[in-house]
Amino acid sequence: MADLKLENLSKRFSRKVWGVKKMDLSVKDKEFLVLLGPSGCGKTTTLRLIAGLEEATTGNILIDGVDITDTPPRKRDISMVFQSYAVWPHMTVYDNIAFALRFKHLSKAEIDSIVTETADMVKIDNLVKRYPDQLSGGQRQRVALARALAVKPKIFLMDEPLSNLDAKLRVVMRTELRAIHQQTKATTVFVTHDQSEAMSMADRIVIMKDGVIVQIGSPDDVYFKSTNVFVAGFIGMPPTNFFTVEIIHEGTDIVLKHPFFELKLDNERKSMLYDYSKRSLTFGIRPEDITITSEKNNLLKERALVVEPQGSLQIIALKIDDKIVKLVSAREHTVFPGDMLFLTFKQNKLHFFDIDTGERIGDL
Amino acid sequence: MDSLTHSRSIWKKAAPYLLIAPTIVWYGFFWARPVIQAFYGGFFDLNGHFTLDNYKFVFNDPYFLQAIFNTFFIAIVSVAVEFVLAFGLSLLINIRFKGAGVFLFIATIPMALPFVAIAAMWKAGLATYGWLNSFLYHVGLIAKNGKIVFMSGNKWPSIFVIIIIDAWGVIPSMMIILVAGMQNLNEELKEAGYIFGGTRLTVLRKITIPLLKSTITTALILRIISAIQIWAIITLMFGYLRLPTLVSQLVFYSDQRAPADPVYYQRALAYSVIVAIIISSIVILYLKVSGSFRKEENG
Repeated sequence: MADLKLENLSKRFSRKVWGVKKMDLSVKDKEFLVLLGPSGCGKTTTLRLIAGLEEATTGNILIDGVDITDTPPRKRDISMVFQSYAVWPHMTVYDNIAFALRFKHLSKAEIDSIVTETADMVKIDNLVKRYPDQLSGGQRQRVALARALAVKPKIFLMDEPLSNLDAKLRVVMRTELRAIHQQTKATTVFVTHDQSEAMSMADRIVIMKDGVIVQIGSPDDVYFKSTNVFVAGFIGMPPTNFFTVEIIHEGTDIVLKHPFFELKLDNERKSMLYDYSKRSLTFGIRPEDITITSEKNNLLKERALVVEPQGSLQIIALKIDDKIVKLVSAREHTVFPGDMLFLTFKQNKLHFFDIDTGERIGDL
Repeated sequence: MDSLTHSRSIWKKAAPYLLIAPTIVWYGFFWARPVIQAFYGGFFDLNGHFTLDNYKFVFNDPYFLQAIFNTFFIAIVSVAVEFVLAFGLSLLINIRFKGAGVFLFIATIPMALPFVAIAAMWKAGLATYGWLNSFLYHVGLIAKNGKIVFMSGNKWPSIFVIIIIDAWGVIPSMMIILVAGMQNLNEELKEAGYIFGGTRLTVLRKITIPLLKSTITTALILRIISAIQIWAIITLMFGYLRLPTLVSQLVFYSDQRAPADPVYYQRALAYSVIVAIIISSIVILYLKVSGSFRKEENG
C-alpha cells in the first residue's frame, strides 16, 4: 500500500476564487483519512486534485514519494467512488467492475476471478449480470465500490459516497466500509460534509474551510480540543454553545461575567486566562457538559423552550440572552417545555476562544 | 364490484383514448387523408380509371435512375461528413473553453438563413468572378488567370458543391442536438472512465459514444430524412434536371409540367409515393440496425 503527500497544493479557479489554498497534508499508509467541511470548503477539489481530475495551480502531489502532479489519472494507481456512483448505465455490473482490469493485460480467467472476488466482498455476487437500471441505489453504490476495489489501488478516494443513501443504509454502509478498509488496508481519503460520518469512520479528520485546513486530528482531538470556534461549532450534534463573556477580577478570583450568569473559575482555568484579564472572550460548552442541578447550586436558571426526546437522552433547548442554547441530558427525569431548569457548567469542559480571532486559548 | 365502481373503471380505461381522440381526428384529416389520396391518385389516370401508367412513367423516366443515384450519393456522403464534423465540433464546444458560447452562437448562424439566401450567397461565391476565387487568388493559392470553374455544371463538381453547401447549412442543427445530448451526460461517468484506465480515445469510444446513442440516432434520423428530400438548394443552384434527385423530379413534374399537362400531376403523385416508401423503409431499417427497437422490448 502507500502513503500520500500534498505539498503546498493550490487550485485557483479564477483570479479571486481559490478551491484549495497552499495545502500541506500527509496521509499515512493504511490510514482512513476523512476530509470534512461545509460545502464549498475545498474538500472535493482536494480529492479531485489527488485523482487528477483537476489540474493543480501550484504544489505537488506525491504517492510513495513519487511526484504524480502531472500524471494522468489512469497512471496514478488510484481509484475513486463518486458521489453519483458514476456506474456506467450501458454496461452490466460485471463489465463495470472489469472495465479497468481489461486495460491491465490480464487473462480472461484472471479478470473473472477478480470480479467474482470483489463482487463477493461487497455482496453483489448475485447481481453481476444485471444492468445498473435494474439495481437499487444501494446496490449501485456497491457496484461503484466493487469497481474501485477491483483495481487494488494504492490510494482509495471516496467523494461523499454515502450521501445519496437513506439514513439507515448510510449507517450500515459506514460499518461495511470500515470493515472493508480493515480487510484491504488501502490508504483511503474520504470526503464528507457529515460530521457524524467523519467521527465514526476516520482514523484522522481533516477539517477544511474556505480552501484551507483548519484542524487535523483524531475524532477525539477535533471534538475535545477544537482548535477554534468554527471547529467547535461544526463538530458535534447539537453543536457547541458559545457565550461572550467579560473577564472580571474579584480579589484573587477570576469571574466570567455574562448578563445572565457569573462563573467563578477554578485555579486551572485561571492560569489559562492569565493573558486575557479584563478583556472579553468567547467560551464554548458542549451540550452534554451543561448539567441540570438543584436550585441551591445553580449558576443560572431558565425555562425549557423545546424538548426533543431521543430515547434514553433528551435534547433541551432554552433561550439565554436571546440565543438558543441546547443541552443534552439523560432521561432520568423527563423535562417538559416550560419546566424551570437549574443549570451549571462542568468547569473542566469549558473551551475558551479569542473573541477576535476565534482561536482556542490554552491547551487542554 | 357494484355498478358504480364498474362504470368508474370504464371511464378510467377510456380516458386516455378520449384525450388523444382530437389529435387522431386532426391527423386523420390533415395527414392521413392527403397521404391516402396520393397513394390512391397515383393509380388513376385523368379519367378516373385504374392504371399503372404513372408508375410505368416513373420507372421509365430517363432521369429516374440518375435521381436515385444522386439522392443516395448526396444523402450518404453529406450525412457522413456532417455527422463527423458536427460531432467533432460538439466535442470541442463541450470542453467549455473560454468563448465556447460565442463560438456556438457564430456556428449556428447558418440555421437562421433560408435556403434561398444560402443559395444566393454560395452562387455569388462560386461564380467564376465570385468571392471564393478572389479569396483563393489573394491568399496566393491560384494564379490570376487560374480561376476555378466551380459551377461548370459537370456532374461530380456539382454534386460536391451541393454536399458542401448542404453540410455548411446543416452542421449547426446537428451540432446543437449533439451538444444538448453531451451536456446531459453526467460528467462523472466520463471522469470514472479516466480514473479507471481510460485514455481520451477509449473514454470517447467506450463511454461517451455509447451513452450518446439515442441522441446520435435522433440526429441521424432527422438528417437522413431531410437529406433524401434534398431538392431546393439544388434547384436554386443549378435549376431543374441538371442534377436530378427524387424530390426535385417530383417537384419538377408537379410544378413545371402539370400546369400544362395535368397527367404529370398523377405522375408526381406516383413519385411521391415512391419517395415516401424509400424514406420509411430506410428509417425502419436504420432503427432496426441501431437497435432502437430492442431497447423498447427490454424496457
